[in-house]
Amino acid sequence: MLSEIRPSDLREVLTRAKIAPMLLATAVSTFSFFVAMLALLCWVAVVAIGIGALVHRFASREISMLESLRSDIARIALPLAWVIALVTMLGSLYYSRIQHYVPCELCWYQRICLYPFAVILGIAAWRRDAGIRIYAIPVLAIGAVVASYHTWIQAYPPSNGTSFCTADAPCTLRYVWEFGFVSLPFMALSACCCMIVLLLIARPTPRTGLTPESL
Amino acid sequence: MSTTPSPKETALGGTAETSGPNQPSSTTWIWIALAAVIAVVGVLAFVFTRSDGSTGGGSATPSGTVVPNGKVTIGSVTVSGTALPNKSAAGADSAVGQTIPTIEGETFDGTKVTIGPADEPTIIMVIAHWCPHCQREVPFLQSWLSANGAPEGVRLVAIATANDAAKPNFPAGDWLVREKWSVPTMIDDKASAGAAALGVTGFPYFVVVDAQGKVIERTSGELSAAQWESLINAAKTGTGQPSA
Repeated sequence: MLSEIRPSDLREVLTRAKIAPMLLATAVSTFSFFVAMLALLCWVAVVAIGIGALVHRFASREISMLESLRSDIARIALPLAWVIALVTMLGSLYYSRIQHYVPCELCWYQRICLYPFAVILGIAAWRRDAGIRIYAIPVLAIGAVVASYHTWIQAYPPSNGTSFCTADAPCTLRYVWEFGFVSLPFMALSACCCMIVLLLIARPTPRTGLTPESL
Repeated sequence: MSTTPSPKETALGGTAETSGPNQPSSTTWIWIALAAVIAVVGVLAFVFTRSDGSTGGGSATPSGTVVPNGKVTIGSVTVSGTALPNKSAAGADSAVGQTIPTIEGETFDGTKVTIGPADEPTIIMVIAHWCPHCQREVPFLQSWLSANGAPEGVRLVAIATANDAAKPNFPAGDWLVREKWSVPTMIDDKASAGAAALGVTGFPYFVVVDAQGKVIERTSGELSAAQWESLINAAKTGTGQPSA
């Protein structure tokens, strides 16, 4: 019955090595602040791209700087969307696996909508296949809808609870609450929206060297 | 264009690809700029959360992570010495007079805490976040402590044990912060090694130990104020072997 250290238990080993306590005690507030800022950056990107698109549509003449910037962003859009998917997945895994925050039911739906893209968009970015948007955007949109609802109930918890809330994994518990409004579902929503916008403007670009077809 | 962009996609793109492969530097610059922004954000995160201390430094709205300070939800515990036998339901407690083992662990914020033979009488409370009796006992004892102050000459310490993410009211630290619990509380490990070393059979559980680290009394279940005061009394008077 005494404490036994199983070699398989990585967390135990990390604890002994003083790595886990360091991560646990100091990093979580820094990490939350960091990812909350990244979420806000996602919105900056969404708004900037939106404004750019409006200007492009309604400007009387072509603005060459805007055109070249648009073309550059279109070329990095796929890899950037992939990076966002990857960071979102790793961040969510950090909270659930390292910090032991229990994902609620709504969190799981958002994960289902986001995790696959950490792989899929990687492949699409490598293949320069912007056609992936036809498959990806509907899924991300579902994720965004769930995240919107979850963000809403975390910001304004309904007094009578929700059908998604369970005592063991309450969906209204604000594990993270940065700047007075950035919660974990808000981050998921930011990632979904930013990825959707990036996929919308992504363009297939020719590879200078090998193409998948030539391999 | 071997990756076959459909006409729709080029239409979406507005103008046709003009820069082509001859201008890799412009996208490289965007990547560098992004990396720089993210690095700045990282530095900001580090600086702000450092200078802030725990929570809500400068901002008017409550900020930061709402789970307990330090967020240790399942601890790491080392036990040395002989574990106490389980308390039997009836009859004399065979653990009385036995020296308690030394249990080393951390509180929710990562502060080291040791439970073991100390130089002063100690009452060890063992609580579980999901146990309804504990959920009533903790605020009850806290209001007693707030009203009467910490008992003089008696060390109070707690172990939050049986931590299970699949059970209600997890994590325990969240609950105890909510209850403004003032007793230093060690967070038990996954196997509840700390509680097991004290022979815990039910929650809440109390072990009264004298200044030599020997068990005076063990009890479990919700306590009334009178029962709680009698435990304090036992701790104070049970140490009547100064020459030992």
